Amino acid sequence: MNYKKRKRRFDILGHIVLGIFVFFAVAPIIWMVVSSLLTQGEIVTGDYGIPMHFENYIEMWRRVNFFQYFRNSFIICSATTAVALSIATLAGYAVSRFKFPGSNIFGVTVLATQMVPGIMFLLPLYLMFIKIQDTFEIQLINTYQGVVIVYSAFFIPFSIWILRGFFASIPTELEEAAIIDGCSRFGAFVRIILPIAKVGIIATGIYIFLMAWDELLFAWVLTTSADVATIPVGIRLYVGNYQNRYDLLMAAGCVTTLPVSIIFFGLQKYFVTGMTAGAVKG
Amino acid sequence: MRLELRQPKINGPKKAVKDEKTRLLHRIKSNKLAYLMITPAVIGMIIIHLIPIVSGLCMSFLKLNQFTLRQFLKAPFIGLDNYRTVLFDPQSTIRSGFLNALRNTAIFGTACSVSVIVIALLLAILLNREFKFRGLARTLLMTPWVVPSFVVGMLWGFMWQNDGIINRVLVDILHILPTKPFWLTGPIVLVAIIIPTIWRQVPFVMLMLLAGLQQIPDEYYEAAEIDGANAWGRFRHVTLPLLRPVLSIQILNGILNYVYSFNIVAMMFGHGAGFPGEYGDLLMTNINRNSFQIWQFGTGAAATVIVMICVMILVALWYKVFQDDLVVND
Repeated sequence: MNYKKRKRRFDILGHIVLGIFVFFAVAPIIWMVVSSLLTQGEIVTGDYGIPMHFENYIEMWRRVNFFQYFRNSFIICSATTAVALSIATLAGYAVSRFKFPGSNIFGVTVLATQMVPGIMFLLPLYLMFIKIQDTFEIQLINTYQGVVIVYSAFFIPFSIWILRGFFASIPTELEEAAIIDGCSRFGAFVRIILPIAKVGIIATGIYIFLMAWDELLFAWVLTTSADVATIPVGIRLYVGNYQNRYDLLMAAGCVTTLPVSIIFFGLQKYFVTGMTAGAVKG
Repeated sequence: MRLELRQPKINGPKKAVKDEKTRLLHRIKSNKLAYLMITPAVIGMIIIHLIPIVSGLCMSFLKLNQFTLRQFLKAPFIGLDNYRTVLFDPQSTIRSGFLNALRNTAIFGTACSVSVIVIALLLAILLNREFKFRGLARTLLMTPWVVPSFVVGMLWGFMWQNDGIINRVLVDILHILPTKPFWLTGPIVLVAIIIPTIWRQVPFVMLMLLAGLQQIPDEYYEAAEIDGANAWGRFRHVTLPLLRPVLSIQILNGILNYVYSFNIVAMMFGHGAGFPGEYGDLLMTNINRNSFQIWQFGTGAAATVIVMICVMILVALWYKVFQDDLVVND
């Protein structure tokens, strides 16, 4: 009796603590939405009116050619996800199933790349791209393909690591049975394993897309012209030398967050099971 | 973790293989498919990882600035001069900036690592109970992770402003502080950087720890309860030891994340163009500014190499501590 009562009290305390953390998690996001619906004057003076200025969401596309940046981000991130995911799926399956000479070195290399900071690649890559441009006249800076190549290669090692864990959790008997039934080795992978691993692959895809959407360092250097520049480059134009429109900046922030939250919350089920199956094993 | 698929009989070895060499050759041959499958990844990693890392190492020995930029690896060789500039030259502004950034990153990294793990673990434990709005609570707690980190930097930079919402709430409404502090200048700036980083990072770690917690069978807790363990005892002797593998991975992730932290800080100050000040500058923002604003690529590469060596030492320490918790291959 006494124990149960104590447990009850502990539960209520737990709910209160949880509630406080939920508040701190959500409050900044709510403020972003609210301030995107205020006027710049209200934000500066602190005389907050009713946040109903939906015209901010029309004005933000006019002030800055935001649609262009949005489209660029979308094209670059989708292409990156497609390329990186297919390459990583093949490699992840290979390291999880085959023990070939060099498989351990490959596995360690994949992990070791995670220890190298982005800027270590960025400096030489930037100079390499300039060099390639000068010698072969192949344009890589300020082109979609240049960015997609860099991003894909950048996200491949981590994706291999997640997918490897995921494939390893699928029993090998399934492929063996398929091979006995006359499937080729690769056919067994395509027909049997891929459908089962769908959850893990989707989870990894979401992860790559979110990471690419969030990429800043390379975007600032590799995409400087408005034709290919991504959102992190374009969003800075709302504040600074020529204008100070925090209301529009926050509106743009909401618009930027919306697609990734739709992807994430729409596919949350896949993400949670997929990521945790692959990542918990480490 | 690495399961070896039994070779189907048709492809299997027909006769006994004689010596090591033919055996290796045979193993390479019989794994042709595996090699084919990793080839695209290997090519990508050679072009975008290996070649740049090697040339980055070379660059740290070259005099690479805006004048020699186009010579790339043919720029004048100056030996260890870049390293000397970064670490020992008392007159160099690059050195003082780098050392400041190193100190700030150490404080920032420690504060973030500890707080993120503690908060995430607390939330994961609280979420690992049966209650009505559990799914909703988890979803709401996940939201900060979905906001792109450059938006996080912008948003918090906006909220920390002197007449921003945080000061209005703390000073005008709750009267916790007597005057409005300037969050974005002076030593206090580190707080303004640490809090958003924790805010963004907790949800993901929480999710991973929650998954780890759910794999601990209830029987263990029941057994501990029968043995008379109180809540703290159960946490100390059941939860923590069984959660160590998951925790260790998240700690490693944290080390890499915080030492190489860039997006949030860069976006908070002048939206990428600004300088967080001597108390707020982190290693990555410092190196990035030196490289792309004053075009000192050589010293930038040298500084990066130094940071990488520090990280490798940290990872080695991490490995020493958590060695036994890692899943042993094969």
